[in-house]
Amino acid sequence: MDKQESEIESAELSIWFFCGILMLAYGLVLIVTGFVEFHNPPANEILLPWLESLHPTLWWGVVLTVFGGFYSIRFFPRRG
Amino acid sequence: MPLITFSGMLLFNRQLTRLAPVDILILVLYFALVVFIGFYAKGKANTSEDFFLAGREMTAWIAGLSFVSANLGSLELMGWAGAAYQYGMLAAHWYWIGAIPAMLFLGIVMMPFYYISKTHSVPGYLQLRFGEGARAVSAVSFAMMTILMSGVNMYAMALVMKTVLGWNISFSIWVGAATVALYVMLGGLRSAIINEVLQFVLIWAGAAMIPILGLIEAGGWTKLKAQIAVNVGTTDYGHMWSTLGSFKDNPMGVHWTGIVFGLGFVISFGYWTTDFLVVQRVLSANNLRAAKMAPVIGAAFKMAVPFIVIVPGLLALAVLKNPDGTMMHLVPESVAAATGQHSYNEVLPLMLIRYCGPGLLGLGITALVAGFMSGMAGNVSAFSTVWTYDLYGAFISKKASDKHYVAMGRWSTVIGMLVSIATAYLVMNAASIMDYVQALFSFFIAPLFGTVILGMLWKRATHWGGFLGLLAGTISSIGMFLWVQGNAGALRYIAMSPDAKPMAENLYRALWSWIICVVVTVVVSLVTKPVPREQLAGLVYGVTPIPHDGSKNLWEKPIFWAIVVIVVFFILNLIFW
Repeated sequence: MDKQESEIESAELSIWFFCGILMLAYGLVLIVTGFVEFHNPPANEILLPWLESLHPTLWWGVVLTVFGGFYSIRFFPRRG
Repeated sequence: MPLITFSGMLLFNRQLTRLAPVDILILVLYFALVVFIGFYAKGKANTSEDFFLAGREMTAWIAGLSFVSANLGSLELMGWAGAAYQYGMLAAHWYWIGAIPAMLFLGIVMMPFYYISKTHSVPGYLQLRFGEGARAVSAVSFAMMTILMSGVNMYAMALVMKTVLGWNISFSIWVGAATVALYVMLGGLRSAIINEVLQFVLIWAGAAMIPILGLIEAGGWTKLKAQIAVNVGTTDYGHMWSTLGSFKDNPMGVHWTGIVFGLGFVISFGYWTTDFLVVQRVLSANNLRAAKMAPVIGAAFKMAVPFIVIVPGLLALAVLKNPDGTMMHLVPESVAAATGQHSYNEVLPLMLIRYCGPGLLGLGITALVAGFMSGMAGNVSAFSTVWTYDLYGAFISKKASDKHYVAMGRWSTVIGMLVSIATAYLVMNAASIMDYVQALFSFFIAPLFGTVILGMLWKRATHWGGFLGLLAGTISSIGMFLWVQGNAGALRYIAMSPDAKPMAENLYRALWSWIICVVVTVVVSLVTKPVPREQLAGLVYGVTPIPHDGSKNLWEKPIFWAIVVIVVFFILNLIFW
């Protein structure tokens, strides 16, 4: 995105901010869920033991938190 | 492009899973944000340009993602994941040759005309180029289709929620409809676009874990293909082109001519360049360069979609097992109804449940809900625009104030949603209506592309030529559809082969109706009085000076990125040949 586009989008609440804040919230929820599941794997992970050691909920939560956090800060409304 | 039949979803006959509290939390967070966006966007929807075209201030990235997202509804995801299970890699044609060339053509060749003419809709362009007759045919058919499709989306969402989670159908219909009506009525197209971009991100967040974990389980792409070959007894499922030399050599029963000319040219170009539902997103761009770049950006993202749609279908062929450890065999809807097995259309929810525990499951379900709601919102916002500008404003109240048209846009959104709800209940009582609605959609798109493309590229095309060509193409498409419905043997004449299967009918019917439209338009135009050259300025190639799009260097030029995308497109097709 060039400078002009960035200014237009950040003049008010940017669409990217909405995306960022939602992904950040989801990422944090998944991280908490992932920690809770660390020693209490859900039913599908018991059926697929190889899945349990990967901790997909926790790691996907980290990915979404980083993605969402970046977009939330980069397009925070005050940045206009 | 809604070409897949999905009445089979009716045959989901058991609740597949249930949501944990964390899944409900994820769903509630989504609904809360969507309603907030509606109220936020209301403050910016004061004029008709604001309400119907989002103030024409969207950047290329936003318009591009919204453009591709408007076509990434949950019906598409579930239908094409099922098609991948049924037909293998051939299903990816609908995402690559069935989309990419047309999207690039829209951006580079057609967008300047839509944009320069300052039209607010595709029927609006037809009025400028071919007069009121062509606009009326196009607007009436489009308004009818969008509202029916919105109802079909609504019912399909309610059905999936009932069958996957056990939710009450009426509850899902009314909650979904009320939420969509609220945010589209308040914020108009801006609200719909924000939600579409959000949905695009959400779809990836919710569905990407399926192919990632699936490929880990399968041991990588090469092992996945080898396992599929063992399970189904043929290597055909892993190829896109090498099996298309004959109708009988591939699971889909199609020939490469149908894929290239029927799908890749007529259906794809018709859908991506003249369906106002998607074109409206690009018309919201803030300048000509953004309008040209948006479809190019959309095409780049579209190329990646098979990863979350086609790969899960293929994975199911290799790794989806019953609780007892035997391979699970998904079956056609008719068989599923009789035996109680799972049908092809259930493949995506089944894979989601296989890999995703609480939290991830909620994210996947929220992505599906977002996809359905976005499908409704896209249809109802396009309906509201075409109704207000091309029917109400053109034939009922021609000189009302701008404020009046905005109010009409809001009211037509609410009324459109009520008609959609009625459609949803109608479909509930007659499932085959869903498939007919999709067939109806295909009647208009192919001939409309013939009319628009001749109008843009051929100065000699006249008002009568455009109108009668559109009418002849549409009637011939309906005629061929009814012929095959009444006599299944007619398919061999339309597809020109006794080995053709039903999927081929869509492709060749579109091709023939387009040819008929073009021939009638050309013949009638040649025997009728030409349109004066001065009336064609801004509408037709050759008499319209195309303004510079403002790009200063190679990296800013839409044509450069279009070339990059088309090169990647060819490479992908060669890799999966």
